[in-house]
Amino acid sequence: MSIRALWVVSHEKGESGKVRFSRRFPTVEFRAKSLAGTQYVAIPEDCVIPQLLLTELGLVDADKPYVEVRDDCARQHRSPAVELRFNGPGGRTLWPVLTVTQGPLILACLPLVEAPPGPRPPLPSLASVSQGLALLSGLQDFLCGPGGKPEPDVQASRLAALPSVLLQVCPLGRPLDTPPPAGLVPAAVAPSPGGAQKQPAWKAGVHRGRAVVSVALTEKVRSMQYGKSSQQDIWDVYGMVMCKCEVEGVLPNVTVTLTLPPNGSPLQDILVHPCVTSLDASILTACSVDENDGSAFSGPYKFPFSPPLELFRLCSYTSQVPVPPILGSYQLKAEENHLKVNVVLKLHESVKNSFEYCEAHIPFFNQNLMGNVEVKVSSGQLEVSKEKNLLVWVLGQKFPKSREATLEGTVYFSGTVAGPTDPLCTGLTAYIKLYFRVPDLTLSGCSVDQHSVQVYSSAKPRIVTTRELVSSEYYIWNSTGAAPVSSGLVVL
Amino acid sequence: MTIADPWDQRISAFLLSPSEFLATTTSESFLAEVLHELRNDKANDQLKVLLVSVLLEHPTILCPSSSVGEETAVELLSVFSNVPQKSIVLKCNIMLAITNVIICTSCLATHTKTAEDWLDLLFQTIQDTNDFRCGLSQQALRATACDCLREMETCNPGLLSQKLEALYLLKQQETTVLHQSYCMLYALGLKNAVRILAKQKDVTDLEFKSILGGNEGFAWKNSQLGLTSLPINMMVQVPCLPPGLDCKELKSIMSSLLDESYLLTPISQSALLRELVEVVAMVPGLSPTLFKSQLLRLFGTADVSLMHATLFMKDTFTDSLFTAEDENFLLKRLVGTAQHPLLRISEKLFYMECILHFPENRPISSSGEESLPVLVTPRLAASLHPTVFNDSATMLCRLNLLCLVHLEADEGEADKGIDYLFDHIMALLKIVDNDGSREVVVTSFRGLYIFLTHFNGVEQLSEKLIDRLCDMYSRHSRLAPNLIGLADRIQENLDDPVWSVKLLRGLQKSIMEMPPLQLTIHNLSWHLKILKRVAKEGQITQKNTIYLLLNVLINSNLCERGNWQVGNAVLAVCRNLLEHPSIDQMFIELADLLQYISVHYDDTDIKDHARFYYTLLTNLSWEKLTGLLVKGLDGGRAKERSHSAIIAESEGIASNLTVHKTNRHVLQLIKVHEKASQNSSENSESSQTMAEAENWLEVYQSQFQTPGFGSEVTLRYNLTHVKESDPLFDKVFTICLHFELKDSNYAKVSDIHVPCVFKDRKPPEVKVKLKPFQPYPTTLCISAIFTTQDGRSWHSRLPDVGVSFPEIFLPVPLPLNTSCESKEQVFDHIWEAAASGNPDKSAISLFCFKTGDESLATLIERHFQGYLITDHPTERLWKVLFFLPPMCHVLLKITQAEDAVQVSVATDNWELLPFVNSYLQNITDQRSTTVTDG
Repeated sequence: MSIRALWVVSHEKGESGKVRFSRRFPTVEFRAKSLAGTQYVAIPEDCVIPQLLLTELGLVDADKPYVEVRDDCARQHRSPAVELRFNGPGGRTLWPVLTVTQGPLILACLPLVEAPPGPRPPLPSLASVSQGLALLSGLQDFLCGPGGKPEPDVQASRLAALPSVLLQVCPLGRPLDTPPPAGLVPAAVAPSPGGAQKQPAWKAGVHRGRAVVSVALTEKVRSMQYGKSSQQDIWDVYGMVMCKCEVEGVLPNVTVTLTLPPNGSPLQDILVHPCVTSLDASILTACSVDENDGSAFSGPYKFPFSPPLELFRLCSYTSQVPVPPILGSYQLKAEENHLKVNVVLKLHESVKNSFEYCEAHIPFFNQNLMGNVEVKVSSGQLEVSKEKNLLVWVLGQKFPKSREATLEGTVYFSGTVAGPTDPLCTGLTAYIKLYFRVPDLTLSGCSVDQHSVQVYSSAKPRIVTTRELVSSEYYIWNSTGAAPVSSGLVVL
Repeated sequence: MTIADPWDQRISAFLLSPSEFLATTTSESFLAEVLHELRNDKANDQLKVLLVSVLLEHPTILCPSSSVGEETAVELLSVFSNVPQKSIVLKCNIMLAITNVIICTSCLATHTKTAEDWLDLLFQTIQDTNDFRCGLSQQALRATACDCLREMETCNPGLLSQKLEALYLLKQQETTVLHQSYCMLYALGLKNAVRILAKQKDVTDLEFKSILGGNEGFAWKNSQLGLTSLPINMMVQVPCLPPGLDCKELKSIMSSLLDESYLLTPISQSALLRELVEVVAMVPGLSPTLFKSQLLRLFGTADVSLMHATLFMKDTFTDSLFTAEDENFLLKRLVGTAQHPLLRISEKLFYMECILHFPENRPISSSGEESLPVLVTPRLAASLHPTVFNDSATMLCRLNLLCLVHLEADEGEADKGIDYLFDHIMALLKIVDNDGSREVVVTSFRGLYIFLTHFNGVEQLSEKLIDRLCDMYSRHSRLAPNLIGLADRIQENLDDPVWSVKLLRGLQKSIMEMPPLQLTIHNLSWHLKILKRVAKEGQITQKNTIYLLLNVLINSNLCERGNWQVGNAVLAVCRNLLEHPSIDQMFIELADLLQYISVHYDDTDIKDHARFYYTLLTNLSWEKLTGLLVKGLDGGRAKERSHSAIIAESEGIASNLTVHKTNRHVLQLIKVHEKASQNSSENSESSQTMAEAENWLEVYQSQFQTPGFGSEVTLRYNLTHVKESDPLFDKVFTICLHFELKDSNYAKVSDIHVPCVFKDRKPPEVKVKLKPFQPYPTTLCISAIFTTQDGRSWHSRLPDVGVSFPEIFLPVPLPLNTSCESKEQVFDHIWEAAASGNPDKSAISLFCFKTGDESLATLIERHFQGYLITDHPTERLWKVLFFLPPMCHVLLKITQAEDAVQVSVATDNWELLPFVNSYLQNITDQRSTTVTDG
């Protein structure tokens, strides 16, 4: 359950990789050597690591169309672990190297293979693999923060802090914890009072100050709508409950309860944070890969837990809702150098007509740049971005009373300069992408009642609950063109 | 700026490439510098942490032997004890460094005193729980000490096996965040103790109980368990305690550990669960149902390491903990998590691997290969179908999984599923056709490969794929290398290579059918690559290829342009055609083509090559021809290199042209041991004429007027393979040895060339000629460039060769037949001169020792044989002269007194005295010695 080495390599386009941080664990290496015997492969020096990693990840020689070591079709990149090959063809390999890529940063670690020398053991038989994955995820959050793209100087200072972080979470190659996510470290923390109650290892101290519990429920809806009888529309919803509990005590008890409306469809694939102390078996039974029998448990979903100090994801779920919130139709007709466009968006009656924002993006690929745009909308405004070949239909906060909005007109491509290209959207294959957010709404009907949040502590905390619905990958495909299949679910 | 900056740079240079860094200094001196700076009171903590990092990361490079390791650990320990209390981070880092050094240099395994002291100190540290008086910050020290102990216990299992009671109490007392450290340490100690006991034959209740109540010293004797202690899922047979032992106490300990596991971080929790699972597996008296209370929490977890630990539990206990219903449920959860929108890609990929290696209660096979659990039906896996919206890895992983699913499925269902996968492949190819990025192209070909390895038998689909690929090739000839790669890999990995042949035939056809306009120079090079590959297939007729080539050459200006690369690519096709089994049927056409090139192509080299092929074709039978072309020791690269296609048109060639580097030693120099008497100077031929000369000193000194006289030492070595070298290097050729000296006391050593070294033959002898400016010991750094049998060139370092002080000794350079008297005359003259301080650097010294079991005569015979000037055993007096180039002398007068031997030393270079002294000390070994300078 240890890792032999850890690297952070940066890779800017057109440049060779650079080791930004590295750490080897010699005692683990010592064990690796003795476990592998004659099959032992030593870790190469840091100066050659970036090239080896980038080759494996297909990031070298961007200007060459085909490089055998990089592009060989029999090399299967379908595992979280890659192998590094050195000393040319027939050389030795280092396996399993786990990698995580975020922007220009590549995080990699080499878990110890605790197996007798011989054929490669399956990845799931190695305990250190999941620990390595967890460590890399933690490092990723620590280095990149919640936004994923920190400023260079912020990132540099986080990289500089890595040695002291590793001193705590992985001093001798054995992960003990994940690094604290950047930007989520709470302010008002007092040292543990001591006493009989054991302090959890995942909680550095206790909260001091006003007691506040915030529970935020966010649901995301994805959809692929084709407007054809031959291709079934699909949509799904997934939700997560984020909690921040500022409550006194070493191990305060909090219970959050999710409830569904009377005929709501059950929450599925529920995953909980490790701080949840106990779970009822019925909560876990519903699973999206299963056929649904109507008798499934549909709440209330109780999650008793003892919170960590920082913001955390208490639980997540998926849900199958009967209708998509916005049903769209998109029709394109090609005529000489212009396209006739017709879009209709209908807001379902069960959805509250009160958006924070709602936009439809209509891009045109593989065309010359736009010229005249003669398009009318029945509601909201239209923004035209000619250099991007993009129409942005801003629907604003509300659909009209009829809950239906239309866009109609003609787009001319009179320019001689080629616009943006996309290998997927050729011919009449085209889509609209919707972006919207509706506060105080969930599609599944799931909610956290303020009064259902129970906190067992001396001071009565203020309890804040919110919920929202946000779109994610919400596509409406042109029904007059071929659209790519996006899920195997509809096949069977 | 501060002094820290050069250290910053030096340390990052060292960490980036220790070998490069140490090329300019030695590990010894670098280590000494680091340790010295660590003791510098003025250096700040930050710098010291940086300094310690070199030992933290590369202890074995800096401490190559366990004695150096031990010394370093002692040094670090003294630094550690002098670090002020408040420098917690530095203290923790030094703690880790000491642990690293002690484990990695085998100080722990060999049970050295330092390791013992260090263990005691660590244990004292974790026992000192009163550190809150110094504030919370001191806790880090204890946490680090716990982890150090845990690592030492891991490397030496059982070390803590007699201390479990003490550890248990510490764990119970600790209520701060540190209890995790104590808990993990205890759990590991417990597991190893049980394991050691389980290996024993008969275990009594008392013995069993005593492990829990142990409160003694460290158990060094247990190290025989060694590092072979694998986790139980890797063992063929799990060691087991006998049934019927009283497990009450152990059971309650296990329960309390499990109850508190919730207080641990998820990663540590998963580690703890694994330790406890192993304990339960080894103790029949404990039931796996102990874990029952944790299962629901674990089934629902979002944490990958906890989920993984649950699968480990499943693998270990199967149906004694997991019912069939549980199994079904767990598998469904896995499929669900493998596509959960909120999990990370790497986690989902891992879960898919877990599905393919799912520990079933009743597995059908247990080969360790990927296999689908029976419960995974097409319906269950439907949500894992690949789509064009997936990232590459996810798409390929899902495709592979679904191929297996539909391969196993019932007919009706399978057809639907396979159709879906086929449509998916077609959708990918459509993107490629629409100028998808390189990544899309590579991913699509990988997808094709996966699909074909599973379904190449479905003829209707695989034929459709060929049509589609050929159609695409006619528009995108840049796909040539991808297509060739696909054909090659499929041919290699499937029993039935028909598909590849069909694809290649299709590609040949689509090239033939291309309108001439499309045969531009750029596209042509891709087409030639394809045709070259097609020409390798005996089942494909090649006449059309030849017609096309001839046609292109005649009807274009290619011949006038005389582009060497194009010409060479055409010849590469011809070369493969020469080997084609149906060459008889296309003999005339090929001859025409070659002749046309040899006459019309405007490049001499190409013409020559074409003429050469023409000659081969027209004069040799096919058998001889192929025999010749395939020639080359193992086919492969040497073949390609020996004839046409020499330029870098394939990567294989590029690999021939580069010098590969290996970081492992391949060759080494082993000193040839010879008797000193044989080593007589080569400069002593023209001697007899001087036999009558009177003043031998003058004669002797006059010799040095000749430039270069007596200035060289020749050392003889055998050039051999290192013990464990790769079979690739069993036969190496044209070795060029290059020497670098670590100091400036010697002239540059010239390169030495050796024709070949074979592992199973007598090693060749290498004579290294050293020209000292100062005759001090030195080290030779040697590298070699050589060629292996497959034609590749390699660069490799040899282990350093030390040249010791006595190796530079030469006998006095006087003619061979000089009489003893004359030699003595020279000796006495030099002695007198030295004694009277002439030249300036002369010095006299005395060295005494007691003779031991070995008589003085034996000692003299062994070490001074070739250098003896006079030998008067009766007088108990010996005179010895060492000549050291370029012109130094060390003279010894050895006399035996009553209880000791006196060695009077005279030299004309006092700087040699320390070396002389240690040399004498060395050969007289362990005898009491005294030295007085004169």
